[in-house]
Amino acid sequence: MSSLASTQTPRANNYRGWVVPAVGVAVWWLAANQGWSDSGLLVSPQKVGITAWDQVSSGQFWRAISSSMARNLSGFFIGTTLGLILGCLLGFSRLFERLVGPSFNTFKQISLFAWIPLISVWFGLGDVAKVVFLSLAALVPVVVNACDGLRNVPPAFLEVAKVYGFSRWQTVIGVMLPAALPSIFTGIYLALVYSWLATIGAEYLLVSGDGIGNTLIDGSEHFMMDLVLFGMVIIGLVGWALNVLARRLERRMQRLYGITPR
Amino acid sequence: MTASQALPLPTQQGNGLRLENISKHFSSSGADSQLQVLDNVQLDIAPGEFITIVGASGCGKSTLLRLILGLDEEFDGQILLDEKPIKGTGLERGIVFQDHRLFPWLTVEQNVAVGLKNAPLTPAQKRETVREHIALVGLQDFTESYPHQISGGMAQRVAIARGLVNRPSVLLLDEPFGALDALTRTRLQRELQNIWQQEKITMVHVTHDVDEAVYLGDRVVVMQPHPGRIRRIVDIDLPRPRNRSDAKFIALRDDVLSDFAELA
Amino acid sequence: MARATATALDRQQAPAKKLAPVERLPNFPARPARRVSIKTAPRPVWQKRVLNGALPWLLPLALLGLWYLGTERGWLSEQVLPPPAFVYQTLGDLISTGDLWLNASASLQRVLVGFLIGSGLGVSLGLVMGLSKTVEDYLLPTFNALVQIPVLGWMPFALLLFGIGEPLKYVLIAHAALVPVTLCTLQAFHQVPKRLLEVGRAYGFSQRQIVTDIVLPSAVAPIFTGLRLGFTKAWLSLVVVELLASSEGLGYLIAYGRQLFQLDLVMAAVVVVGTVGLLIDRGFEFIERRLNKGRAATPGRLA
Repeated sequence: MSSLASTQTPRANNYRGWVVPAVGVAVWWLAANQGWSDSGLLVSPQKVGITAWDQVSSGQFWRAISSSMARNLSGFFIGTTLGLILGCLLGFSRLFERLVGPSFNTFKQISLFAWIPLISVWFGLGDVAKVVFLSLAALVPVVVNACDGLRNVPPAFLEVAKVYGFSRWQTVIGVMLPAALPSIFTGIYLALVYSWLATIGAEYLLVSGDGIGNTLIDGSEHFMMDLVLFGMVIIGLVGWALNVLARRLERRMQRLYGITPR
Repeated sequence: MTASQALPLPTQQGNGLRLENISKHFSSSGADSQLQVLDNVQLDIAPGEFITIVGASGCGKSTLLRLILGLDEEFDGQILLDEKPIKGTGLERGIVFQDHRLFPWLTVEQNVAVGLKNAPLTPAQKRETVREHIALVGLQDFTESYPHQISGGMAQRVAIARGLVNRPSVLLLDEPFGALDALTRTRLQRELQNIWQQEKITMVHVTHDVDEAVYLGDRVVVMQPHPGRIRRIVDIDLPRPRNRSDAKFIALRDDVLSDFAELA
Repeated sequence: MARATATALDRQQAPAKKLAPVERLPNFPARPARRVSIKTAPRPVWQKRVLNGALPWLLPLALLGLWYLGTERGWLSEQVLPPPAFVYQTLGDLISTGDLWLNASASLQRVLVGFLIGSGLGVSLGLVMGLSKTVEDYLLPTFNALVQIPVLGWMPFALLLFGIGEPLKYVLIAHAALVPVTLCTLQAFHQVPKRLLEVGRAYGFSQRQIVTDIVLPSAVAPIFTGLRLGFTKAWLSLVVVELLASSEGLGYLIAYGRQLFQLDLVMAAVVVVGTVGLLIDRGFEFIERRLNKGRAATPGRLA
């Protein structure tokens, strides 16, 4: 048990990660093709591959993914913009923070999904409702992080501004915003990830229209495990890509500020 | 160069600093007790003088500096610069903090320029002054570097440049070399002395290092805590550049140190 | 970009530059009149406290007022927005008929079971991966890949496998809790300060001693943070899962109310969901703070 001081070479690590999935797929393949179970749910890997190909070539996949992404990005942009405004207000003005802050904190504790029924009554089941929901999902992390960043500007910097006679406006633009920028960007990356997570949920709960989530629902309703698996893989891939993107941007920002990445 | 000895420069330069009956207490909310941080501090600083203030932690020396700087306006007594009472912060009083407090998102040059943000100069003049002062501290090769790319000693020199860039009447230094290693500290002490002789600015330098205080100052103000007040003021009547191995230097240093042995 | 060393430039030969005799900058123009703070007698402390305490209530009260007005004046139909009194009454009804208790307890039971399963598995998994790099190498990549799929993404799959009964909910909630708990636990083991480990090695601690005396105590707090996070996620997924596929529980109430266009029921249920979640989270926070006394905050960082 080598414990916490690793003596392994990096090369070995890379291969090891593939062992479990490889074994898993092999077992799956065997199980499906040797007919270990006669449940209709045991679809073979080939079947999934064929379905995937079908989906892509027939254009169904592209339609679904572009619908989902379009909604995702709209919600993300709207939510981020509103979130920045709200976050800055909360960060700059103590009065505003006392007025709105506690209500907002309570609001963000309640699962966003609980608001869906209300949203569906007010906005219907279509794209508008979904975008509203996604905007909310994106708004929350942006507000939290922007406000946090602005409130936690090191007082040391504010004193420097005071010593050099910065006006309030100069302090805000020249000191508070740059100092809060890393936090603000963290909020934006989180918003990107959260809005994607919310996209799927929105498609389940507000069932009109098309999207990847709807593909999954279709699959489960028609007992088509292959479709379900295909959808899951896609969702995982998109989520992973967004995560990687977010993390890379974050690292860039940290390097600019000389923060050593954790 | 002997002009910088205890003889004060003529007052026509008009940057003498006077502290009259400075007292300050912290009252913790709720409790009735008050913490007396400074008690009746009286100090007369001649224009162009280099004053070092030495004392253990808690003697109020940093608080005193903040009062002179204007970051803190709640105190009893008066602080007069050039016979006029000070009001809040002002560009005529510069500061070098212990943590350099350079903005991490600005380059060295931009950081020094922060000092001139509200100065009534043309952009060309500002650039010129900034370059001059960066050269003054010997960092002309690093104008485009960011604070996290330079060492602590260099960052502190940038802070000194920023403190001097708008030609203040008084430069306050709050343990500026406290966070640096001993070797860098000695070098920077020498540099600071050179700069002072160049600029002829009044300097008020707070430190807990007695050696540094005796090395740099025309007069050493020894403070003691609980409540913070001036214990005594020691004249350092030695020519510059000072020699740490000089017998007289050692004698003066031991003299000041003896104050702290008693307080221990 | 290489870090320039001090020695390169702190040469003795870099003297202070000889400048022209100092010209003072012209006197700065008078500063714009600063707002003079007239030192009036400060407000008594209690008054300040009352004012401070009252401010957060202004917004909710204003919204409540608007809501009341809106329904009174008939700005919106009752189905779109029921009057606040209605919601309050419904809440009361729920409590008195015992419906609230029935559904709330169903939800709580689900979340508890799911959370226990999920966090138990999560801690074990994190423990095993944290203690043995070998195991981590084998398992972590797969785990990370599976984590990319959100709980909702798993739902149709789980639905097909388990059908609509209780196991479905347990599985999904357990999954929701498992992810953050595992990651935080793993992080807890990685975060043991190296210097403490070195102390252990210097004093000849055996491997087992290092684990029990150094690693585990310092891992407790981050693990607990993970548990708290796991519970939050579990509670969140509970609501969603019940919205979609259940016949009792708080989420079910929400879905039911919505189907019958009884928004008062929906809102009442939302209020309860929020309150319960808040209370339990506060409980966790309390314990967390107790655990974290006297140590620097080391936030677990999740991807």
